[in-house]
Amino acid sequence: MADSILVIVEQREGKLNRVSWETLTAGQALAAETGWTLEAAVAGSGVTNLANEIAGKKVAKVYALESPKLEPYTPDAFAAGLKQFIASKQPRLVLMPHTYQVRDFVPKLTTAMERTAISDCIGYKKDGARLLFTRQMFQGKLAADVSFTCDAPWFVTFQNGAFRADKVEAGSAAAPVETVNVEIADGIIRNKPQEVFKEAKQAVDLTQAEIIVSVGRGIKEQKNIELAKQLAEALGGELAASRPICDSGWLPMDRQIGSSGQTVAPKLYLALGISGAIQHIVGMKGARTIIAINKDSEAPIFEIADYAVVGNLFDIVPPLIEEVKKAKAGA
Amino acid sequence: MLVFRKPLTNVERPQMPADVVIVGGGPAGMACALRLSQLIDQHNAKNPDSQLSKENIYVLEKAREIGQHCLSGALLDPRSMRELLPGFEKEAPIDSEVTKEAVYFLTQKGKFKFPITPPPLRDHGNYVISLNRFVKWLGGKVEETGITIFTGFAGSELLLDGDRVTGVRTDDKGVDKQNQPKSNFEPGYDLQAKIVILAEGTRGSLTKQLIARFALDRDRNPQTYGQGIKELWEVPAGRIAPGEVIYTMGWPLTTKEYGGAWIYGGKDNVVSLGFVVGLDYPDPRLDPQRVLQEFKKHPLVARLLEGGKMIRYGAKSLPYGGWWSIPPVAGDGWMILGDSAGFLNSQRLKGIHLAIKSGMLAAETAFEAMAKDDYSLDVLEKFQERVDKSWIKEELWPVRNFHQGFDRGFLSGMMHAGVQQMTGGRGVRPHYSNHAGHLRMKQLSQLPADGGAEAHIINAAKGDGKLTFDKLTDVYYSGTKHEEDQPAHLVIHDTNICNERCVREFGNPCKNFCPASVYEMVEAPDTPGGLQIHLNASNCVHCKTCDIMDPYEIITWVPPEGGGGPNYEGM
Repeated sequence: MADSILVIVEQREGKLNRVSWETLTAGQALAAETGWTLEAAVAGSGVTNLANEIAGKKVAKVYALESPKLEPYTPDAFAAGLKQFIASKQPRLVLMPHTYQVRDFVPKLTTAMERTAISDCIGYKKDGARLLFTRQMFQGKLAADVSFTCDAPWFVTFQNGAFRADKVEAGSAAAPVETVNVEIADGIIRNKPQEVFKEAKQAVDLTQAEIIVSVGRGIKEQKNIELAKQLAEALGGELAASRPICDSGWLPMDRQIGSSGQTVAPKLYLALGISGAIQHIVGMKGARTIIAINKDSEAPIFEIADYAVVGNLFDIVPPLIEEVKKAKAGA
Repeated sequence: MLVFRKPLTNVERPQMPADVVIVGGGPAGMACALRLSQLIDQHNAKNPDSQLSKENIYVLEKAREIGQHCLSGALLDPRSMRELLPGFEKEAPIDSEVTKEAVYFLTQKGKFKFPITPPPLRDHGNYVISLNRFVKWLGGKVEETGITIFTGFAGSELLLDGDRVTGVRTDDKGVDKQNQPKSNFEPGYDLQAKIVILAEGTRGSLTKQLIARFALDRDRNPQTYGQGIKELWEVPAGRIAPGEVIYTMGWPLTTKEYGGAWIYGGKDNVVSLGFVVGLDYPDPRLDPQRVLQEFKKHPLVARLLEGGKMIRYGAKSLPYGGWWSIPPVAGDGWMILGDSAGFLNSQRLKGIHLAIKSGMLAAETAFEAMAKDDYSLDVLEKFQERVDKSWIKEELWPVRNFHQGFDRGFLSGMMHAGVQQMTGGRGVRPHYSNHAGHLRMKQLSQLPADGGAEAHIINAAKGDGKLTFDKLTDVYYSGTKHEEDQPAHLVIHDTNICNERCVREFGNPCKNFCPASVYEMVEAPDTPGGLQIHLNASNCVHCKTCDIMDPYEIITWVPPEGGGGPNYEGM
């Protein structure tokens, strides 16, 4: 067992993320307090440049864990590669940023090493010889100090923002960089990574839409949504809905207008089969012009509508779509 | 397809030890926490060598903020508060002392004033308060003591070890509509507690689990309930004085329903008004929210509200059953307080002072256990003795038969109430029994199609948007809000009963008695009745009426994801 701290930084597409620097700051602080040696590691394929970048900071040594099998990221490869490396170096403490990727492979890695991890920590304390790590409980209302009862290596992940990336100390001279080729046997990797995708941003920003065609329960069936969609397309507007439609899963929740959804103020709001409960009205009453189509002449939507059309939307909308198309074609 | 909430299995839950966990931060729970802190402070001052810690005393409160789910009339009988915090009047948020009171019997257009106010309804010396503001203030006091209040956390399950209650599991957070964990999933905590104190309010969900598990309702009258619907109004100046109290009986109810209204004048021209309907009415089409709307049309009320503005709405159920319905309130590892136990004086329509007192007595019991480091059944059961020896029993015993006297309607009820008044509460027999309210509901085939004498209070209110409101509009003013992507917390054990039987037999009374339009029957061509149950769970205002009044007893109310629910600001 070496008296050392190993910080495993995270890289994606050849770049280190900010929270890796934060974790390095935590490692430097812990090293100063314990007197243990601080080392860092970065895993991937062709990561020497990144290792050199870290070597400029105050660390004793940086390891570049290389294998073509570490790129692209898979939990199987990372768990296998890191297990091999950590088992050979036997650090006392392994620190990682609490990222999605780390959350993905750390349970596998620690279980394989018959250890546990204290995850998502916001700080640490030294209690005599013992290290305590602080975790939030009850959504941050309580902070619990947790320590390890198992033998080292001890695995800890730190929460985003728990330490400051700009406080990471530079080294007086570049630390040595050692490239370690990790062997990952064939058949270890069972995961087949897909293209990296960014979480779809809200696909639609209704608050920016100038024209909104909104449907309510009067649309009757999911298949009829298509009709409203055609009208929205013809008008060059966005499709939205009242709560019952999104609640039934006929449209995604990000298209819901009202007190439990979006508040919008388009130039034109076309309400199809929406009765106009106050819960909906509060989300769209700022629209400049409101046209409501409803077969119930007493529907509350008519109280705020600029144009009230009493009638069956299935009779009115199809010719309306045609007329809009004609008008647009003419213009 | 409806998917119902239940705690996830196969997840590792964080464990946390605790001395005392109080479930519910209403008047009972807060009074309990505060009293316990006082006793610990006194002990610690006297015993420098054996200090007791408050660090492991927790209050769980499902509302996002303290007091947000607290609703009442409310008049406060200050008796218990004076014991808890002598001189509390100087700092507590009190609207006014009661200055003037009147009781009316209403007919459709007319009114008869009772020549004298019946003694139980005499309120001089009581205070008009907003329970929401009062509890917010009381909760602040608790937080100052160092006791932790976990707002936004509900108790979802009791933890048991054999016959001992050993803790509480909190709600799972971040579970989607299909009961699957989302990316923000956080499993509920297992709070391993030496004492669990249930102060959940009427028909508490853990209390219900406890009563069922240990058959605590054995040899008791079934609990009966009322549903109170309240609106808060701002009216033009001069309509009603602060501290003015009006009670009414009669219209719009008929002789077949039990209930009445209150109107309290508060500060700044704010009026609290509401209607309590006994949840033992016969016609399944009756809609208590409509009862309140019809009540407001009466000239007495319409004149008061004219030109005013409705600012808040809410609903709550209350336990009417009285002394004979109260389950054992202490056992191995647990105690039950306030409305959860049924500490409510149905004759005076007051329970806050009893809730507070029961919290104080439970605190004394919990303190004794902590001081002796003995959490056994023997010590906890002393809570029962403390209640029996306290003025809680002194107050509830003489009215033990009051509500049951109304089992056969208003007129015979008044007769029994009179005889009971003269015989110290005994009436014509020593122990009046009763029936659970939902059993008195009649099937549609036994009732006139047009509603008969009840025609004006059945089915949904329309609302004129000024004096009267449809239900959905009222619900908006409850401020209720829930995470939409979560499983339904109104657990219907067999929806086939709704769609196939109830639709024929009772016409789905859930859509009528629910004051928040949670229950809805939507067109479904494939079902025999052409209708199918649909839940708008995010409208729920946590009143528990469905759990109480559903004629088949197939609905269980469980807490939704913590933090959701009404916002009873000023109620």
